[in-house]
Amino acid sequence: MKQFVGVRVVQFNGTDLARFQFDPDLTYAAFFMNADGTLYGRFGSRSDMKDAEREISVEGFGKALAAALELHKGFPANKSSLLAKTGPPTRFKSPEEYPSLKGRYQRTLDPEKPVQSCVHCHQVLEAERKMYRSAGRPIPDEWLRPWPMPDVVGLSFDPKEKAKLRSVAAGSSAARDGFKAGDEILTLEGQPIISIADVQFVMHFAKAPAALKAEVLRAGKKSSLTLTLAADWRRPSNFAWRPSAWDLRRMGTGGLKLDPPSSDLATKAGIAPNSLALEIKHAGEYGEHALAKNAGFRKGDIIVAVDGKSAPMTEAELLALMLAKPVGAKVPATVVRGGQRLDLQIPTQ
Amino acid sequence: MLHRTVLLSGLLLAGAGAIQAAENRLERVKKDRADVTAGGLWVYNDLDQGFAEARRTGKPLAVVFR
Repeated sequence: MKQFVGVRVVQFNGTDLARFQFDPDLTYAAFFMNADGTLYGRFGSRSDMKDAEREISVEGFGKALAAALELHKGFPANKSSLLAKTGPPTRFKSPEEYPSLKGRYQRTLDPEKPVQSCVHCHQVLEAERKMYRSAGRPIPDEWLRPWPMPDVVGLSFDPKEKAKLRSVAAGSSAARDGFKAGDEILTLEGQPIISIADVQFVMHFAKAPAALKAEVLRAGKKSSLTLTLAADWRRPSNFAWRPSAWDLRRMGTGGLKLDPPSSDLATKAGIAPNSLALEIKHAGEYGEHALAKNAGFRKGDIIVAVDGKSAPMTEAELLALMLAKPVGAKVPATVVRGGQRLDLQIPTQ
Repeated sequence: MLHRTVLLSGLLLAGAGAIQAAENRLERVKKDRADVTAGGLWVYNDLDQGFAEARRTGKPLAVVFR
């Protein structure tokens, strides 16, 4: 770290959103950059609320730092390959310009109330989604399922390396594309890759469908591959772990937090295997988060049918289904409570 | 009446809990600031200063949001 100028940022207020584009549901994100603003790379990945270190490690961070130093040594000759790493322009320059945050937060922290006056990173994602929702438009996939882990196409990375594949899922599109365990991704779409977060960055902005050009190092030799992204490639991405999903629950299911029930509970409730079963772990109690509770849903209910569908689905898949409905729609659902089946309606907003 | 009293008590308890959580967090923020600045390796919460330091020294920046 002594070879870097380290800057610790503890607020999102006033942040240049176009310059610092990262997964806003992270609790730790790092950028390595030149003094002229050119980005060498980013670090920080997450796919689970409880296990914050599944995708990151001190070793991985160290290797990203070393790779950033190499890029710094090659600067400015390598500048043209780095320009796309910053990302496209953003809707607003800084977080507090979003309509839902404007007036509530300022560009700087209140020194007397630093906690209360601080914009949390995930609030920007929520504010962006609200823009679509309040306009009655569907939330685009890149905002509903942002910063997808490469696992969605079959690529699983070693968190102790820069961007080295630990495994490639058999039968996945990445396996069909020729990626193999042990491959190190050197560039993606021409951008030097120094972390899993860099891979996520390219994928976050990728179209659907798309074909991403990759340069990989395999057994000491460089080779070119294409990472194919199908039209629905983002669909398996789980977004329910995200702090920003709390607001999606308000919009999509009226404030319900859902998880699969234990197999014992499902059996006792008479739910057939391989059918929809999502237990209500929490039903919001206040304001806009209490819509489902006010519609009759209770903690402990097990949802077994929604909108005529009874095939298994995750909470994220259910939220995506609900968020595709018009704002204010009430969607028929069946729950099991105390051995009885009840027909209710899930409210959206 | 009892219902209102219980509700009011609940709200007061919830409010007290929120205040305590904010105070705990404030303490953590203050401690974090003291720890980070004491180490001497980091510029604390001042990107302009960080960029100026990077220009002066020729070093790259490591900007950490946390």
